[in-house]
Amino acid sequence: MKQAIPFSGFAAAALLAGCVQIQAPDKPIEINLNVNIKQEVVLTLKKDAEDLVNNNPELFPQ
Amino acid sequence: MTLSRRTLALAGVAALLVGAAGVAYAQSTGAVTAALGSGAVGEQADGYLGFRGTPSEALRDEVDAINIKRREAYTKLAAQRGVTVKDVAATVGCETLQKRVATGRSYLLPDGVWRTKGADPIALPAYCGS
Repeated sequence: MKQAIPFSGFAAAALLAGCVQIQAPDKPIEINLNVNIKQEVVLTLKKDAEDLVNNNPELFPQ
Repeated sequence: MTLSRRTLALAGVAALLVGAAGVAYAQSTGAVTAALGSGAVGEQADGYLGFRGTPSEALRDEVDAINIKRREAYTKLAAQRGVTVKDVAATVGCETLQKRVATGRSYLLPDGVWRTKGADPIALPAYCGS
């Protein structure tokens, strides 16, 4: 029983060390995701944006 | 009789005011159109008009007024589609940069650099799609 405690502590330390290594690539992945979502939104709004520009010539002087 | 004369006078004043407003509006859009032509004002990727350089106070007022009306229209569409005003504005920006900037006119990309439209199409931001 007394021996089990230091062993589990060691196991937890090993797990934590593993976690720290995984954190590095998080940031670039998040940025790519944002760009993809944005492009999708732009695609769905494209027709609406076209109509908005064409139907409001006073807001879009040439 | 006095009343009807007064009514007539009021109607005359109203007609004058409407006429004056019409002239002011024509002048204002003329100023923006001229500034677009000279490149002092241009379309921005964010969906609004902007200044390439420092504008006169009058020109700034006119462009601000147009941008406020644009924002109003974007806000309405964003609410209808359940997206942000920025999403709508950026999509309109893609549209104006692609179709409404003539050769020799100014435009602003998200990198913050004003450029002059040449013979080639504008290199649109990646989020505009193809």
